[in-house]
Amino acid sequence: MPSIKKLLKDLLIFKEPEKIEKFILKETEAEKRCGNGGGNVGKDNTDGHEKEGTSEKVSCRSGQEGKKQKGSRENKDEDFDNIKKKLSDNIEYLKEIFTIPDNGDVVLREFEIVAKNRVIPACIIYFDGMTNGNIINTNILQPLMLLSNIEIKGNENDVISFVKNHLLTHNQIKLTKKFVDVIDGINFGGCGIFIDGVDVAFSCDVKGWEHRGVERPNTELVLRGPQEGFTELLRVNTALIRKILKDEDLIAESIQIGKKSKTPCSLMFIKDIANDSLVKEVRRRLKGIKIDYIFDTGELEQLLEDDPFMTAPQIVATERPDRVASMLSEGRVAVVMQGSPFVIVMPVTNSDLLHSPEDSYVRFPYANLLRSVRIVAVFMSLLLPGLYIAITNFHHEMIPTDLLLAIEASRERVPFPSVIEILIMEFAFELIREAGIRIPGPIGPTLGIIGALILGQAAVSANIVSPILIIIVAVTGIGSFAIPNFSLGFAFRIHRFAYILLAAMAGFLGITLGLFVQGILLTSAKSFGVPFMAPFGPNTNSGFVDQLLRSPIWKQEKRPDYLNVKEPEKQPKISRQWLDTGKNKK
Amino acid sequence: MESKITFGKTEAVSILIIGITTQLFLNFPRVMSESAGAAGWLLIIYVTVLTLILFTIIQKLYSRFEGKDILDIGETVGGGIGRVLIGVIYLVYYIFAVSITLREFGEDLKIIALTRSPISFVLLFFTVGMAIGAYYGIEPLGRLAAIVVPIVIVGFIIVLSGTVEYYDISHILPLMGTGPYNIFVNGATRISVFSGLSMLFLMAPFIGAHRNFKKVGLYGILISSFFLTIGTLIYLLSIPYPYSNEGFLPVYQLSRKIDYGRFFQRIESIFVIIWTMTALVYLSTVLFFITHLFKKTFSLKFYRPLVAPMTVIVFTLSLVPQSLMKAIELDTQVFRIFAWIVTFGITLLLLLIGTVVKRKKEGGVKREK
Amino acid sequence: MKNRIKIVCFVFVVCFLSTTMTGCFDRRELDDLAYPIAIGLDKGDNNFLKLTLQLAVPTAIGTGEGGGGAGGSESISVTTVETPSIYSGLNMINTYLSKQINLSHAKVLVFSEDLAREGMNKYINAILRSREFRPNAFVLVARGKGAMAEKYIRSVKPELEANPAKYYELVLRAYRYTGFTADAQLVNFHHRMTSYDIQPVAVLAGVGTFESLGEIDAEESTFREKEREYPFEGDFKAGDMPKVGEVKSETMGLAVFKGARMVGEIDGEETIYYLMVSGEFGYTYMTLPDPINKDTFVILSVKQSRPPVKKVKMEGDKPVVSVKVKLEADILSIQSGINYESTDKVSVMEESAEEFIKSGIQRYLKRTAEELNSDMCGIGTNMKGKFLTWSDWEKFDWKSKYKDSTFDVSVDLKIRRPGLLVRSADTQIMEGEGK
Repeated sequence: MPSIKKLLKDLLIFKEPEKIEKFILKETEAEKRCGNGGGNVGKDNTDGHEKEGTSEKVSCRSGQEGKKQKGSRENKDEDFDNIKKKLSDNIEYLKEIFTIPDNGDVVLREFEIVAKNRVIPACIIYFDGMTNGNIINTNILQPLMLLSNIEIKGNENDVISFVKNHLLTHNQIKLTKKFVDVIDGINFGGCGIFIDGVDVAFSCDVKGWEHRGVERPNTELVLRGPQEGFTELLRVNTALIRKILKDEDLIAESIQIGKKSKTPCSLMFIKDIANDSLVKEVRRRLKGIKIDYIFDTGELEQLLEDDPFMTAPQIVATERPDRVASMLSEGRVAVVMQGSPFVIVMPVTNSDLLHSPEDSYVRFPYANLLRSVRIVAVFMSLLLPGLYIAITNFHHEMIPTDLLLAIEASRERVPFPSVIEILIMEFAFELIREAGIRIPGPIGPTLGIIGALILGQAAVSANIVSPILIIIVAVTGIGSFAIPNFSLGFAFRIHRFAYILLAAMAGFLGITLGLFVQGILLTSAKSFGVPFMAPFGPNTNSGFVDQLLRSPIWKQEKRPDYLNVKEPEKQPKISRQWLDTGKNKK
Repeated sequence: MESKITFGKTEAVSILIIGITTQLFLNFPRVMSESAGAAGWLLIIYVTVLTLILFTIIQKLYSRFEGKDILDIGETVGGGIGRVLIGVIYLVYYIFAVSITLREFGEDLKIIALTRSPISFVLLFFTVGMAIGAYYGIEPLGRLAAIVVPIVIVGFIIVLSGTVEYYDISHILPLMGTGPYNIFVNGATRISVFSGLSMLFLMAPFIGAHRNFKKVGLYGILISSFFLTIGTLIYLLSIPYPYSNEGFLPVYQLSRKIDYGRFFQRIESIFVIIWTMTALVYLSTVLFFITHLFKKTFSLKFYRPLVAPMTVIVFTLSLVPQSLMKAIELDTQVFRIFAWIVTFGITLLLLLIGTVVKRKKEGGVKREK
Repeated sequence: MKNRIKIVCFVFVVCFLSTTMTGCFDRRELDDLAYPIAIGLDKGDNNFLKLTLQLAVPTAIGTGEGGGGAGGSESISVTTVETPSIYSGLNMINTYLSKQINLSHAKVLVFSEDLAREGMNKYINAILRSREFRPNAFVLVARGKGAMAEKYIRSVKPELEANPAKYYELVLRAYRYTGFTADAQLVNFHHRMTSYDIQPVAVLAGVGTFESLGEIDAEESTFREKEREYPFEGDFKAGDMPKVGEVKSETMGLAVFKGARMVGEIDGEETIYYLMVSGEFGYTYMTLPDPINKDTFVILSVKQSRPPVKKVKMEGDKPVVSVKVKLEADILSIQSGINYESTDKVSVMEESAEEFIKSGIQRYLKRTAEELNSDMCGIGTNMKGKFLTWSDWEKFDWKSKYKDSTFDVSVDLKIRRPGLLVRSADTQIMEGEGK
């Protein structure tokens, strides 16, 4: 009874809404000072702010609340730049820096070293999950805690050198006086060892986090050739390259990118082949990148390239070590970055974007067939819809009469003009493509293709589009998949729309204008000083051995001329010396 | 941008080829057939020989002026005034050439493809392409020319060989056409065909060494003359005189006749692509030279801001002739007959005077020593 | 600054979109156009011209939508107007036809005989000036008095295909294997109309006259002029063929022109000779009387082996023309059973065939010179090479000199293959009848 009453009451009587404050993201102090953050600085009071001096603007831009803490850290760094002799001071400082115990995965363990009849307190600090616990136990803690009892023949009175030379049985140890080095090491999977009474600390590399193993590359699959792909670890990647080239002239120069993320990168080149000024330029650009965090070579590529507005890529990213190795041996430069399975190589010309690594591994007639198919695919994916519009709307006399009547019959019931039809179909295709990436599970790709076909068929039956159009859009889409370089395929997807519009405006004249403008833009583009359309553009000497069609491997004697390498010849004129039957045996 | 533009021989030769052979796509074979009847192709060979002779003289004289273009020579001759004078003459000549050609291309395209669009719409396409090409400079244009020329050649050969079944040797008989007098004497003024050679004189500083200059000129003349001859010859073989005087756009007429069975008919629109591409490259090159000339004549620092006003001037001028017939008449009667004066006559004159002046100066220096 | 750029961009984009999406000036959708396949021109009763258009109806032809592809009459629509000129006729037709007429797929131009005899140059010029026309459309002349072009076009109802364009293309290219018509393309017609050294021809077209088998006769055939007792296969002109069937339209023989005016006709067999002399002959089946057994036939498949050699020289004011025709033949049928395949008898066969063809060509050439006075085969082109300049050639005036020519014909025929039977058995002995 009372429940029914209660129910009626709830239903009929007005109830005040509960006063729950929803969460509002308040502005920070720093942002309030700068007038709502960096984005609006220009809009509001350009004059005012500029007059107020640049210092405040600078502080506004980087103004976060964390600045206060950073300021404190920097302040303390000035005092605490160097490691103190007292272990407790160091431990206190570390606790503050790493926000222990709030920061749950930091481990700070204190222990004691017995060395030569002295007991010295020490501590070790590392991130759980990023380090290999076994190595810490067996190579660091065990010798320091246990084996220091063993009688060791040595004369050092200095604890540190004793510990370093005899006790720490680890293969990578750095001795440092500054906190910054230890902290950076700890952030990246190392451990810091502090010993009481000395003002230096050890930083050891004990990386051991979970990572993907070396698998097949995901994007560049070949039938013939090695099947290894890069992983996310820097050292694994450089090792994969180095074990192919086995050249002591292969330099892997370390550069750090990112102010806060301090991502290690490797600049790789072969010292006596690559052009010095090219290497210098790449190095200069890498060092001149100012950014907080960097995550992937995709971002690195966009920060390095010459012209961000050009739709064709100027740097090639690849997942295959053998491809990087072959490009390095031609005289190019590669940048490997920690955390990204894609390695970027520069400089790049248009023909590199159409190469697949398989071209070198299969026999040259097959490679030429593949290349021709690819070139046809490129032109088709770019021009086919535009050509269709141009022919059916402007140049009717080109179509054979039978085909013309067939097209006309099928278009009779379609309400849209051809341009709109094509734009609808293209858009639908792009939609399916984008959605197909995210459909879960194994049905994903299949569903995408079947969906496209069924959708197309249904559209034809409903007389929304004509069947010829389905074929054209499908062939175009497939053609764009045949392009080996992913970015170039993307670029052409964008250009295709421009060509459709141009064709709708003026038929073949529009298409030619589009080709002309694209030609001009491509030929004036440079990728790290190399003209993009070499060797068609500037007609270089060692012309066409490998650009358009491929000559047999024993004919490729010179490295590409436009790279201006130090050693132009890579094979002597006769590389198959076994052909020489007996007369001039060497 | 201004300092170090160099390009190789292939690009320079391609630019020359496009400069000279573009008129093949307009109304060149018809003009040859009008002058010389069925012997039009003989006329070309004769004109080539004449041009080669003239060119040998010119390049010999040019060896003293390595790396200088015609404006610099004008400066050597007459100081600032000489340079301005030569610059203005070349400017007028080029502006005239480009606006006539632009109009012709636009009208031709209107007749064969876009019949209902207003002429300014068609010209707009060409103009936009022209402006973009000239803006980016001669280096990308040279490279693009080096890429486009082989493609155009292939297309051209396809058109020519597609009409094989219409060839008939009797079409080029009688051999001497309208008579030797007509061919040799009247036809001598037809060396204006090679007036595109004046681009070479402007490109000299980009090419550098004198032997390159010589090679570029030689190859340019020989290759373009080869294609002009073949084009005219095959045109005359397929379409007999006097009908060859009637058709307009001769190469287009040839491509209309291609007929391989039931399927491969009327593919002349593919020809439109080749032809328009050549037109765009030619027009942008000439526009670039116009702005370049202007900048150099008046000693300005940059040429890029000049592109926009020059484009507008050229576009407006191209709309001046009242009809296509008037434009063609201007082109063939007026322009082609006097163009050789600018290209060959003035150049020779300048070079002679310049050599004399230089010798005097050098002689003076030697005597001082 | 940013605002300005935004405004400029916006204006630019709007202009751009409006020019593209409003289907600017020349953009015509494929299905907004009508394509006439054949155009017929007759002399009008009330006006200069009667214009007939045969239009293809796509929906009946297209992909099985209307059920059953080879529908004869549904896939064509024919319309006729009376008009002063071609373009005014097109204008008039455009008013009642829903789609705009586009001439770029017209395969065939049919003129009526009356119009052809008056002179066709006014119309040919107009047609060639338009870019839409195909230069390789065929020129046909419809035989007979009255508005024959319209009758012919209406009679074309394709049996074996759905698309009338295909019918025309195939039928008019049949000269390659029948020899009874020629490659009379529009562009050649125009060239030869204004030429001094060769005259144009057009294909004769007609409507079959016989409705049922009982009516067939050979009255109109030319076999009597050739002193034969019965007509051979080429002795007809279009419209006279002794046939009945669904397909009523016929093409056979050529109309001979001088300049732009029709002066006469030649029948199928003479067309073969025309092709032989001008060098455009493909191959055909020829029926020849058996040299030994005069009542039976030998049928050869004759092919041109080399282009003919023509020589002309002037004797005084009269041209003397010598023509050498080189042919090859395969034996198709020997009705008498005589063993012509053997190497001793084959020369008999060859000589008889050469004699037959030679007399045919002689008769034909004489006819072109004396009766028709038109240099169809282009003998004048050989003459042209003897002159140095064009004005000399013009002064020579070959056209008026042609009618006095004498001809010297020689034919060289070689029999190459006998088909599958290498030796004819002596069938009379096999049948047991001795003779």
